[in-house]
Amino acid sequence: MEAIRNALDFSDFPRLDLIVAGSVGIAFIIFPLFPHSSFAMSTMIQFLMFSLYGMGWNTIGGYGGQVDLGKAQYVGIGAYTTAVMLILWDVPFWVSMPIGMFFSVVWSFIIGYPLFRLKGHYFAIATIATSLVLKDLFEVWDFVGAARGLEISPIKYHPPDFLRLIFREDVYYFYVILGFFFLGVLYMNWFRKSRLGFQLRSIKDNEDVARSLGINVHWAKVKTYAIATAFVSMVGSFHACYIKSIEPEDTMSLDISILIALMAMLGGAGSLWGPIIGAGILIPLKSYLKEWLGAQVGLVGIDLIIYALIIMVISAFEPRGVWGIVEKFRRRKRN
Amino acid sequence: MLNVSIMDILVGSLFAGLLIGMVLALVALGLTIIFGVMDIVNFAHGEFLMIGMYTGLLTAQGLGIDPLFTLPVAGVVGFLLGVICYFGFIKFLLRGPMVAQLLGTFGLMLFLRNLALLIFGSEDRALHHGILVGKSFEIGMGVIVSATKLTCAGLSVVAFLAVWLLMNRTKIGKALTATSLDAQGARYMGVPTQKMNALAWGIGGASVTIAGALIVNFWSVNPFIGLLFTMIAFAIVALGGFGSVPGAFFAGLVVGMITELPGFWDFFTYTFEADWMVDIPMTSFKYMWVYLAYFVIMVVRPRGLFGWKQ
Repeated sequence: MEAIRNALDFSDFPRLDLIVAGSVGIAFIIFPLFPHSSFAMSTMIQFLMFSLYGMGWNTIGGYGGQVDLGKAQYVGIGAYTTAVMLILWDVPFWVSMPIGMFFSVVWSFIIGYPLFRLKGHYFAIATIATSLVLKDLFEVWDFVGAARGLEISPIKYHPPDFLRLIFREDVYYFYVILGFFFLGVLYMNWFRKSRLGFQLRSIKDNEDVARSLGINVHWAKVKTYAIATAFVSMVGSFHACYIKSIEPEDTMSLDISILIALMAMLGGAGSLWGPIIGAGILIPLKSYLKEWLGAQVGLVGIDLIIYALIIMVISAFEPRGVWGIVEKFRRRKRN
Repeated sequence: MLNVSIMDILVGSLFAGLLIGMVLALVALGLTIIFGVMDIVNFAHGEFLMIGMYTGLLTAQGLGIDPLFTLPVAGVVGFLLGVICYFGFIKFLLRGPMVAQLLGTFGLMLFLRNLALLIFGSEDRALHHGILVGKSFEIGMGVIVSATKLTCAGLSVVAFLAVWLLMNRTKIGKALTATSLDAQGARYMGVPTQKMNALAWGIGGASVTIAGALIVNFWSVNPFIGLLFTMIAFAIVALGGFGSVPGAFFAGLVVGMITELPGFWDFFTYTFEADWMVDIPMTSFKYMWVYLAYFVIMVVRPRGLFGWKQ
C-alpha cells in the first residue's frame, strides 16, 4: 500500500509540470479518436516503446550514472523468448513476457556481476562487447532462425487476439503499450523515491563516500541493472508481437543500444520526464527524416547524417539535455 | 603426408595471425594514443580507418599509381582529419560528463559513416591492380603467404616504430607523455596541452588511416566496415593496456591470432580426430572471440598487460 501511495504521489513537482504532464497524458489517451495516418500511429507506438526503454536505461544510466551501452541484448532476449514460445508452443504473450523478463534478469546477473567491477569507459565498452557477443551467437543459432530471424504469421491466429497480442489494427497495440507506459511512469516515480533510488544517486555523486556510508555499492548497481533489464525486456516482448518479424540485426544491433542511451540523455538523464521528452523529440524526428529525406528525396543516409549532427551538437553543448535547460532556466528565475 | 598437411595448417594460421596482427596493432595504436593523452574513447576510430581505406583506394585508382605509394596521402588526410575533429568537436566534448563524450564520438562515427554512404554508395569496392596484388610466394613448409599481406605487415611495423620513436625519443613525444600523465602539471610546466591534444588526435588519425590504406590492399571496403575494426581496436587496447604503445603492439599480435582461431580449430580437430569439433561453425564466430576476449580481459585484468592507467 505504501509503495502504491508513493508511486501515485507526484506532489514534489511544480504544479506547472503536473498540468503539462497530465494534459499530455490525456492527449495520448484520446489521440486515436482523432483522424490520423497510419504513419503517425506507428510513430506514436515507437515513441511509447522507446520512452519505456529510456526509462529502463534511466534507472542505471541516469540515476546511477553507469553508462550502459548494451541494452539491445535484452530487447533481443525478450523479443526472442516471446516469439519462440508463441511459434513453437503457442504460449500467450502475458505468460511469455514474464518468462522473457526472467531470462533477461538471470542473464543480467551473470554478466552484471563481473561487469560492475569496471567503471566509466571500461564499463561502457564491456557492455557493448557482451551485447555483440550475444548478437553473434543469435546469428548462428539455428533454433532461433539464425540470421534470418523469426516470423510470427498472423494468419494462424484470429485477431483481435488479446492473449497472444496479435491484432490487425495498430490501435490495440497503442493502448496496450500506453498502459505499460503509464505503469512505467508510476514505477519510476516510486523508484526515484525508494531506498535504492537514493542509494544510486549517492553512488553517482561519489562512490567512495557512498561506500563509507554503508551502501553496498556493487550490489546496488547489480540490482538496478536487473530492474533496467526487466523494463527493456518487457518492451522487447511487445516489440516481437508488434513488429512480428525479428532478426538479430534489427533487435540487437548497437544502434538500438545507443539510441536508448541517447534519448535519455537528450531529454535529461536522471529525471523522471527526461527519457519521455527525449523519445518525444528523437523518434518523430528520426521517422520523419527517414520518410521524407531518405525515401522521397532519395538521398540514402542523409537522415542519419542529420541525426548524427544532432547527437554531436547536444553532447558538445548541452550534455544535461532538455530537462537540464529547463531547470537552469527555473533556477535563474527563482534567484 | 597427413602430418605435413596438419603442420601446414598450424604454421599457416600462425603466420596469417601474426601478419594480420601487425596491421591490427597499427589500427589500435591511434586509439591508445588518444586514450592515453586525454582519457577519451573514440568510437569513430573504425570510421577513420574506413576513410583511410577509401583514400588509398581512390588515390590509387584516380592517379593510377600503386596502392602502396598512397600511404603518405592517407597519412596527411588522417592527420588533418584528426586535428579538425579535435578543434571542431572534441574540444567541446571534453568539458562535459563522460556519457556525453561516449555518445558524442558515437555521433561522429554515425556522421562519418553515413557521409561515406552518401558519397561512395553502399557497394563493396576493392583494389584490382598494383605490383603486389594477387602475388604470393612460398616460405617453406608449404606455407603460402600473399605478398601484399607480408608487405603491409612490414610497413605497419615500420610505422609503429616511427610512432614509438616519436613518443620516446623526441621533445614532442615527451610533452605528449607529460600531458597524458598529468595534464594540469604539464600545463604549469609550459606544455601547450591543447596543442598536444590536437597532436595526439593528428597522430592517432594518421596512423589509423595509414593502416586503412594498407588494409585496402587485401580487404574490400564499404561504409559499414568501421565498427568491426573499432571493436577489434578496443579489444587490442584493452589487452595491451589503455594508453600503452608497446602494449598495443603485442596485444595486436595476440588479437591477430584470435581472429585466426578457425585455422587453429581445424588443426586441433585433425590432430585429435575429434568429430564433435567439426560440427561447430568456427568461422561464423570469428569476431565473437575478439569481443569475448575483450570482456574477459576487462573483467580479469582491467589494466591490461602493460597498462598503467586505472
